[in-house]
Amino acid sequence: MVEHEIENWMDRISIAISRVSMFLVAIIVAIMFFEVVMRYVFEAPTLWVNEMSMWLAGCVYLLAGLYVMQQRGHIRIFILYDMVPRVWQRVFDVTSVLLICVFAGAVVWGGFNEAWVKMLRWETFGTAWDPPIPATMKPLILIAVVLIAMQSVTNLIADWNKKKEAHDLAEEVKEEHID
Amino acid sequence: MDIGTISLILLIGLFVLLAIGMPLGFASGFLAVAVLLMKFGPDLLFRSFGTGPLNILAQRMYGLMTDYVLISVPLFIFMACLMERSGIAKAMFDSLNVWLSRTRGGIAIVTAIMAIIMAAMSGIIGGEVVLLGLIALPNMLRLGYNQDLAIGTICASGSLGTMIPPSIVLIIYGLVTETSIHALFKAAFVPGFILGGCYIAYIIYRTRMHPEQAPLPEGGDEVTMADKLRALPGLIAPLLIVFVVLGSIYGGITAITEAAGMGVVAVLILITLRGELSWSLVKEALMRTWKSTGTILWITFGATALAGAYTIAGGPTYVANLIIGTEFPTFGILLLMMLIFLLLGAVMDWVGIVLLVMPVFLPIVLKLPVDELGLTGALVAAPSFVAVWFGILFCVNMQVSFLSPPFGPAAFYLKSVAPPHITLPEIFRGFLPFIVLQLFVLSLVLLFPEITMIFRS
Repeated sequence: MVEHEIENWMDRISIAISRVSMFLVAIIVAIMFFEVVMRYVFEAPTLWVNEMSMWLAGCVYLLAGLYVMQQRGHIRIFILYDMVPRVWQRVFDVTSVLLICVFAGAVVWGGFNEAWVKMLRWETFGTAWDPPIPATMKPLILIAVVLIAMQSVTNLIADWNKKKEAHDLAEEVKEEHID
Repeated sequence: MDIGTISLILLIGLFVLLAIGMPLGFASGFLAVAVLLMKFGPDLLFRSFGTGPLNILAQRMYGLMTDYVLISVPLFIFMACLMERSGIAKAMFDSLNVWLSRTRGGIAIVTAIMAIIMAAMSGIIGGEVVLLGLIALPNMLRLGYNQDLAIGTICASGSLGTMIPPSIVLIIYGLVTETSIHALFKAAFVPGFILGGCYIAYIIYRTRMHPEQAPLPEGGDEVTMADKLRALPGLIAPLLIVFVVLGSIYGGITAITEAAGMGVVAVLILITLRGELSWSLVKEALMRTWKSTGTILWITFGATALAGAYTIAGGPTYVANLIIGTEFPTFGILLLMMLIFLLLGAVMDWVGIVLLVMPVFLPIVLKLPVDELGLTGALVAAPSFVAVWFGILFCVNMQVSFLSPPFGPAAFYLKSVAPPHITLPEIFRGFLPFIVLQLFVLSLVLLFPEITMIFRS
């Protein structure tokens, strides 16, 4: 898999987070296997595996989006974008990034109190094992959205003086799937 | 602002933002903010920092994150990535080939069978088309197979991954519409196999009619029964994985999420037994999983935020009343929906369609008179099954979308591994007969909902 290179400090943050968090998927598989063995072989199901996997998976969903943003990998349509001159592409990019920031701002504006209160109260999931999923995941949503918006801004700056390049879908698949 | 104007602005906004190349997920997210702004006005929305109607955005995302079934998505992706990097598929191809290479059109049939088995292991397309393109395409072209036949077979059957359970399309559909994913998987079984069967029947028919399109391999030794038996192990391993995944889902031993987890374990064990397990293989697979998960999930996040905002604004009810108010016949409305799915499918990703269109379409379908759905009125006995049936219809529609130009993803997946002289228009040309078959199965499911009800408990 060919990766987009690291160009600035924000890329470094995103890649660092990804290098660690991508192993969470493997951990989810491991604890699920443990649970199935415990349940069917030892007839002693655990209390914590289901919620733990949910907790870890939540981190995966949120943080993976940051990596995809750094890799310029979020799904977008290039028909018009590839046809217009570079100047217009810059106008389009500025608009997109601005609107992404508006979205991030709106998520924080609407969700800050709830996230803050739940974190301070250390609100738990209300189950037998009772992990602090609301207390951690609610703030993480806001953090992830802000990080992604920051990444989109630094992408815009990093790509500003780059030349126009056509987006060949087949080439992109090739980079993804074949070594 | 009234909901009619909001809907219109939303539609135009979506087109404009997609046209300028804004990522789909974030375009939906921003439009969710825009819808709330138009509905409530800036005063109410921004009166005090930290609260207000905008909280719906984070709430919808949190709701999705705490859904246990959603975990199966990264797990199925991980399973597919591992399989793609291993030699499991190549071994399966070789052993099937021993059995069928002496038959007219044998490699094409092998390709279709292999695709069906792989579809029953995991629920992703892409990797599957790439794998078949790498393994089967060179073989077919070397033997002098008709290029259109080879391409069509690979892409059409490679797309079955999201039709035959487990299917990631049905998982997301189930989550969005709150339909039982178990029921969806059971319902998709028969239509999925009918579709796969149609492909195989078509290949057999076409190669019998035009033997020059599928030459038999020349010379070589006769394949003995002993050879055939010796080739079996390559087939048994993948079937074991199918058994682990589907068996645990249908047998009700584990939930779908755990079935996906056990599928990953089964593939890992198989890779170890084959002596292919390495740190770089697992790490590469994890990286790909990480990237694909981020891509799918953030479209889902954006779209769920938009669907939430639009629902608060009263959008779905408005559109439903609009369509029902036209007094279109039931069948006309269904046909119109199928047409919209096909058109959207030609330009958009399936995740976007599920999340943006379903919250509007499904309530309409549920309001249609049950006895007019299908030719025989089979759904009257089970009105609650309508949502499941409609999910299967959608799923078949998306099969077409993987092949339909200009953005049939299967074409691009194949192009990336095909010899450079094969152009995209040539690839799409090869799809034509297979799209006809898909439309045939689509009309079967539309007219005879019974097909989806065979395994209903």
